[in-house]
Amino acid sequence: MSHLRIPVEHTTLSNGLRVVVSPDRSAPIATVGVYYQIGFRLEPRGRSGFAHLFEHMMFQGSEHAGKMEHIRLINSSGGLLNGTTNFDVTNYFESVPSNALERVLWLEADRMRALKVDDDNLRNQRDVVKEEVRVNVLNKPYGGFPWLDLPPVAFRNWPNAHNFYGDFADLDAATLDDVRRFFRTYYAPNNAVLLILGDFEPADAFTLARRYFEDIPAGPPPPRADVSESPQTEERRGVVDEKFGTLPAMAIGYQAPVRNTPDWYAATMLDRILHGGRAGRIYHRLVHEKQIAVDADGGINFNGGDAFDYNGPTQIVTRLFHKPEYTADQTIAAYDEVIHEIQQKGTTADELEAVKIKFRADFYSNLEAGMGSYMPRFGLMHYLACFTLFDGDPNRINTVLDGFLAVTPAQVQSAAQKLLVPRNRAILIRRPVSKPAPAEAAATAQEVAQ
Amino acid sequence: MTSAAANPRLSSVPPLGPESPVAWPQRTLRTLDNGLQVVLAESREFPKVNAQLFIRSGNASVARHTPGLADLAASVIRTGTTSRSSLQIEEHLRRMGADLSISAGADTSAISVSGLSEFSDGLLELVADLASNASFPGEDFERERRHKLESLRVERTNPSFLASECFRRVLFGDHPYAIVAPTEEQLASYTRGQLVEFYTHHYSPSNALLLLVGDFSAAATLEQIERHFGPWKEHESHPAVSLAPPRHSGRSVHLVHLPGTVQTQIIAGNIAINRRHADWQRLSLANSIYGGAFHSRLVMNIREQKGYTYSPRSGVTALRQHGFFTVSAAVRNDVVAASLAEIFYEMDRMRALSVSPEELESAKSYMSGVFSLGVATQDGLLGQLSTVYLDRLSDDYLETYRQKIRALTADDVLDAARKYIDSANSQIVVVGDRDQIGHQAALFAPVEAYDPNGHEL
Repeated sequence: MSHLRIPVEHTTLSNGLRVVVSPDRSAPIATVGVYYQIGFRLEPRGRSGFAHLFEHMMFQGSEHAGKMEHIRLINSSGGLLNGTTNFDVTNYFESVPSNALERVLWLEADRMRALKVDDDNLRNQRDVVKEEVRVNVLNKPYGGFPWLDLPPVAFRNWPNAHNFYGDFADLDAATLDDVRRFFRTYYAPNNAVLLILGDFEPADAFTLARRYFEDIPAGPPPPRADVSESPQTEERRGVVDEKFGTLPAMAIGYQAPVRNTPDWYAATMLDRILHGGRAGRIYHRLVHEKQIAVDADGGINFNGGDAFDYNGPTQIVTRLFHKPEYTADQTIAAYDEVIHEIQQKGTTADELEAVKIKFRADFYSNLEAGMGSYMPRFGLMHYLACFTLFDGDPNRINTVLDGFLAVTPAQVQSAAQKLLVPRNRAILIRRPVSKPAPAEAAATAQEVAQ
Repeated sequence: MTSAAANPRLSSVPPLGPESPVAWPQRTLRTLDNGLQVVLAESREFPKVNAQLFIRSGNASVARHTPGLADLAASVIRTGTTSRSSLQIEEHLRRMGADLSISAGADTSAISVSGLSEFSDGLLELVADLASNASFPGEDFERERRHKLESLRVERTNPSFLASECFRRVLFGDHPYAIVAPTEEQLASYTRGQLVEFYTHHYSPSNALLLLVGDFSAAATLEQIERHFGPWKEHESHPAVSLAPPRHSGRSVHLVHLPGTVQTQIIAGNIAINRRHADWQRLSLANSIYGGAFHSRLVMNIREQKGYTYSPRSGVTALRQHGFFTVSAAVRNDVVAASLAEIFYEMDRMRALSVSPEELESAKSYMSGVFSLGVATQDGLLGQLSTVYLDRLSDDYLETYRQKIRALTADDVLDAARKYIDSANSQIVVVGDRDQIGHQAALFAPVEAYDPNGHEL
């Protein structure tokens, strides 16, 4: 078995900014990220969608780089950039030829130091965000399913249960003062980590980080929203209309364990046994054998990312698209058979071993490029950021696999018995408004079968 | 505390350092006795391997009578070989830490696999098995066909799919590239026998290209490839016939009516060139200035100034026989006409005025830099190799690409825009609610309206 060792060095600047450096001399490029510990669930009440709207504002101008200058300077250096808002972090990142490293750090420092935006910028980005919500959620089949419509069914505490993309009325109510206050509260260096990966000497990277970031003043420690959920005592259900798609769909989510606990390691392996691709038990049983579902997938923190990048309540989610000739109850009954089996009979050493091999391979793939990103080492950057902000230790990147590889079949079974129970779950049904003629089509297919 | 204003270190943009040379990976090329072309490149940073077996036949080769047949065949290949059942294949993959996908585009079908490099021998063996011994089990065929039917129904409710489908039909007319997907009736009528026929005819080593990138030594891997792919028997396959696409004169507008939609998907564009054309880099550069990058003119205009849309983009799609230029944007319903006006204004500006030296340099640096990012991941490298070897470009394509971009001038950009960003003859597709957008679309040409299944309204 090959063991991969990622070189990691880190320090904390005098203003509290954590800096993590990982050299990689294989190509003349650098990937830089700044992660702020603020996300959907920490945004102010009554300002749904604000964390994301604010992320857009970070591209609208800072002290010495006016509107679009940030994007123009990265692109014209031969680089790519983006930002994303997540449940517990908001990130800004760039991949560039390594000769642009200093420029990228200057730009990120400039917008950490001072945002410079006006009402026109805010109005403009509010319009852009509304089109983003329309194209990703309101105007396409299964938009927002299940990441936007399962949490309100699953959770009771506003930070975990509100509309993360934002109600349009809330977006309209956002003011420039809100933007400035949010920046002062959450975008201080002591609430962030800077990641520098790629082709350079680590000492040089630290020198550049100090040069551009160290004199940005620290802020008061940001308030921590209470994101805890009261214990769930009964199954929760909800139904949402599907305005476009023709297939009925559902998401079934069980409250997931807190990261880094023994249950978390076991639940992650359990999750892969259930959802790990076509060999996973749910796909195999519901799609292949019983042919009730047309597609099935899922995962821990499926709504927001993966098993590593959450820092509050989340779920182990199964997503199913099933044939119209089966009812939701029939589909759930078939699903429950799979759950009961693993609770009663557990897994085998053989199945668990295969799942571990796949888990290790997926982990490496994520580090190398990762998460559908077009940026080299995106996943490595992302995990280093999460391990630093949530656990205070970026070196977990080199040890975290061990905990998963040590999970036993007995631990998997016990996690299934403990977690996969109705009073720990929520079911969200997405019900098509349009009615196709499934029976007819099925008959056609049968007639011409050889 | 230092004051930023008083500190030039903080107030001025640091200059770029000297550009580092990119070490393009060594390729090992081999053609097996049965005609299979093999390209290997080592990439040793992560213990993974990525492989892709391309068949140089896709949906276009059968589009006239059985559109989508290559795609359905690709789905069913995964479900069984003469020695493995569907479940055995899936379990075998998991045990090698592997992901598999088999799919077909217009010009190619592809078996793609990535897994741990310690299992590269087993991965190659499995790919060879799928490419030469697929058994098309009857029950799996029925299941996969039903799944395709259900996905097709969902796709035809998706504005972005409907826009692409309609655009291809309009742009390519009688050419096989016009058909992106079958009708429900066609799909339901396909038989297992047709799939076997397609597979037997096209999945042949002399019609294939195997690309491999990963943590291995080329010499040892070549030996594995010989062992697993050597026995694959060659049979005659005929390349698709190249046909001319239609010539469009003037603009036309095609509306796919989806009642009640809260946004309109726009696509406009024209036939352009493929990657083998001498103007390819010129057009790529012009496209990146027009709408192909975040800092491009189109994004600045209709997103950052006007807020009409979230994701405007232009691109050049290179199919094997022909390429086409497109611009797309999902816009607010009340600004469909305004968006189209800006889209064409920016096209006309590209065709009328020279780009400034700053804008030219900026775009050249962008294209050159982004190209070099592609070498840094196994998947990115595999993508670049597939471009070179599928399109039969010159062997030094990767090494010389950046020089070619660097050598381009403002006149090159103007010339490419005038030839290939064909504002006056753009074919326009809008997908949305006819009652809200029909009158806006009609400002650009008489509107032909369709339902989601392509029937005229």
